[in-house]
Amino acid sequence: MNIPMIRYTLSQVLRIEGAFLLLPCIVSLVYQENVGITYFIIALVLMLTGTAGSFVKPKDPVIYLKEGCVATSLSWILMSVAGCLPFFLTGEIPHFTDALFETVSGFTTTGASILSNVEGMSHTGLFWRSFTHWLGGMGVLVFLLAVIPMSGGSNINLMRAESPGPSVGKLVPKIKHTARILYLIYLVMTLIETILLIAGGMSVFDSLALSFGTAGTGGFGVKNDSFASYTPYVQWVAGIFMLLFGVNFNAYYYMLLRQFKRAFGIEEVRKYIMIILLSTGVIFVNIIKMYDNAFTALTHAFFQVTSIISTTGFGSTDFDQWPTMSKLILIFLMFIGACAGSTGGGIKVSRIIILLKSIRKEFSSYIHPKIVRKTTMDGRAVEHDVVRSINVFFITYMTLLLLSMFLVTADGHDLVTSFTAVLATLSNIGPGLAKVGPTCNYAFFSNLSKYVLILDMLAGRLELFPILILFHPKLYKGIIGGKRN
Amino acid sequence: MKIKGKSSSGLRIIIVGAGKVGRTLVEQLSKEGHDITIIDRNAYKVREISSNYDIMGCVGNGASYTTQTEAGINDADLIIAVTESDELNLLCCTIASQFSNCASIARVRTPDYSKEVGYLREKLGLAMIINPELESAKEMARLLYLPTALEINSFAHGQAEIVKLKIPVGNKLDGMAIYDLGKNLTNDILICAVERNGNVTIPGGDFVLKAGDNISFVAAHKAAVYFLNLIGFDTRQVKNTMIIGGGRAAYYLADQLIRNGVEVKIIERSRTRCEELYELLPKALIINGDGTDPALLKEEGILRCESFVPLTGIDEENVMLSLHVKNISNAKLITKINRPGFSEIIDKLDLGSVVYPRYITSEAIIAYVRARSAAKDSNIETLYHMFNSKAEAIEFNVTKESELTDVELRNLKLKDNLLISFIIHDGKTIIPTGNDKISVGDSVMVVTTHLGFTDITNILK
Repeated sequence: MNIPMIRYTLSQVLRIEGAFLLLPCIVSLVYQENVGITYFIIALVLMLTGTAGSFVKPKDPVIYLKEGCVATSLSWILMSVAGCLPFFLTGEIPHFTDALFETVSGFTTTGASILSNVEGMSHTGLFWRSFTHWLGGMGVLVFLLAVIPMSGGSNINLMRAESPGPSVGKLVPKIKHTARILYLIYLVMTLIETILLIAGGMSVFDSLALSFGTAGTGGFGVKNDSFASYTPYVQWVAGIFMLLFGVNFNAYYYMLLRQFKRAFGIEEVRKYIMIILLSTGVIFVNIIKMYDNAFTALTHAFFQVTSIISTTGFGSTDFDQWPTMSKLILIFLMFIGACAGSTGGGIKVSRIIILLKSIRKEFSSYIHPKIVRKTTMDGRAVEHDVVRSINVFFITYMTLLLLSMFLVTADGHDLVTSFTAVLATLSNIGPGLAKVGPTCNYAFFSNLSKYVLILDMLAGRLELFPILILFHPKLYKGIIGGKRN
Repeated sequence: MKIKGKSSSGLRIIIVGAGKVGRTLVEQLSKEGHDITIIDRNAYKVREISSNYDIMGCVGNGASYTTQTEAGINDADLIIAVTESDELNLLCCTIASQFSNCASIARVRTPDYSKEVGYLREKLGLAMIINPELESAKEMARLLYLPTALEINSFAHGQAEIVKLKIPVGNKLDGMAIYDLGKNLTNDILICAVERNGNVTIPGGDFVLKAGDNISFVAAHKAAVYFLNLIGFDTRQVKNTMIIGGGRAAYYLADQLIRNGVEVKIIERSRTRCEELYELLPKALIINGDGTDPALLKEEGILRCESFVPLTGIDEENVMLSLHVKNISNAKLITKINRPGFSEIIDKLDLGSVVYPRYITSEAIIAYVRARSAAKDSNIETLYHMFNSKAEAIEFNVTKESELTDVELRNLKLKDNLLISFIIHDGKTIIPTGNDKISVGDSVMVVTTHLGFTDITNILK
């Protein structure tokens, strides 16, 4: 294990987080809120610690996959602990577990909240809460790679552990430029949404906070009823942007290069949009009688479908009141999640496509036992190794889901609540059904359940294995035990 | 920031073929800060290489236009084709130059084509054709003409040479300071780098040489021979050589040597290859047998051979053979190592001269790439890595006036650890003193431990 390099990475992450904490300080100046002082002090402490920790550069900059996973997971844990300090120390969220839950939920872009009265928070606090979504959406290590000069090609292992999707490709040869392009697209899209929301008559603060929430596919709102009280215009803008942020960012890069055919030809993106259209259609028909007019029903159907599939988790209406069929469709969407290479969570559309294609392949091998066939994606054969890792991912996802459910049911809540609470955190969505529905929150869970859900959120955001590997005893051999190795 | 991610200094380079040479190129060129995309058919190889270096991978047939587009041929500055197959390499470059205006370099190794290289290059519009086997054969041949040297690299189209040797115990040079060289021995050579205990220094005048040092000196060929005689080295060319293995490298080497009157004996395992070799090299003695068998070596007179060059395709066999021959005879040894990565062990073994064909290839390409990415005051003519890439010897053609032309050298503020080793002015090799100056049209060779020079003006502080 290359401990100095992990130390260096963690320190850099702290430094960057400290720098970003200055943004809420500006907000506190604008709104004249005293909590800004606490934020400022924490920002300074983080930056100093980070600078001190990264002062000595490691001699050996090589990061193998193992180190990449450990560095990423530890970064996220450290970042969450440091990021919850403002909430905890200002007393806005009095319990540490709750503050940590809220921050992890923010960074992992889950959007599951323990706050019952969001409107009671200070603007500074709300801003930081929403900003964690923005930072967590594209990933803080990707940001790190974009701004900090890191030598050596092995840094792809940092990005690999943090980026959603079965395989990580670069857009351009240098990882630094890839990371910059991704952040540039991300920033520009966030700005466009903010402007469109402001144009819809929303306040600048709300527009920014909601754009952060949409961009990272997070789901923290600034109102108690999330999106229900906004105008249909705002709901449509947010709905479309949720859809857009759930698209593989490669598509946008191709568009920038004016390769539109290639951008729209990505199989995953096409299927993603097909799923959205189909689900919206079925839910629309299913719920049309519940609303005054068809347009409202369509608005809610579309908003909720994009909100859930992109794993954002905003609510424009209490979908817990919808018919069971519509709710079941939403649960399907919770499993599927967004595209690989987007800011969304879940199992990912590409994995689902490949899994379903394997079923077809299995069928043909029953009909023609000696058939040679490969699963294809975008007209190319998918490597066996990728298919294998997707299968294992799916099984691990399910195992983790069931195990977490088992632990959460210890609290004694009903099956739907326990199931959707775990699913909504593991897929980084936020609201589930029943007691964790869009009008409710997660405050009532016991501490044990909250820590289980925190772990689920982190595991879901970091594609399971980087977090789970922290529990592997072999990792600590040679660090804690003997001197060998 | 530009969307396409172009950095200011780096070129966009596509390398086709993730073999040994491809890998070396990736390693060296990514170190120099270029944007590199590698194409190979083998997805596993591509993934492996792109997770070790900061480059992009692309799986597919490098000669297909679709794959090339995917790898970004339209914006590329250079394509380098180094797959196993010569024909594929040529096709890659031809297709690339049809669709984009990038420069192209192909590796072509087969002797059938090697005689037509000039014609191929011109007709197909290639920037460069490289033949590592031929280049390493040339280097090996130079070593056999001057067997006491460990390494010989030639500059300025053979007008000057840089020779590496080890100072034996009890030699005249042991304990001599550099400024005494001119007084006691000759003024026509210049010691430009010394390696002692793994550290490389560009020596000043008060540097005292010691036995066991590896030194590199620059001189015209005749002056080098004269100097070696003076310090008591044998400078006769070898009379005969024994080559084990009859591959392409063996053919090229034998061809060179026979033309210079060296008797060549080749031991090759395959009967058909032996027959081919006989047709190609009628003057060579071709033996069909297992060259790794000590009994056969003895029978074929290894004890009387003046030089021995194992060229089997397997590094381990070459090393073992060299060590074996070292043990039983005094023959000059040249060992060819295909796989670098164990150089710290190879350095410790007494293997005579060691030749790395992969570095020879990449040096030529890096010289070309550096020259392309530099400002146009000068061109890099040749580049050699010295002492395991701890120092570089670069020959610049000065094509334009700059702040250092026509200024006496002593008035230039040069970087430390840097030496202007020679200037070729009007066809004459000058070992420069403070009174000499660099003019437009000269070739200048610089030895330095600062790596990555792209232009002659880099030598200034």
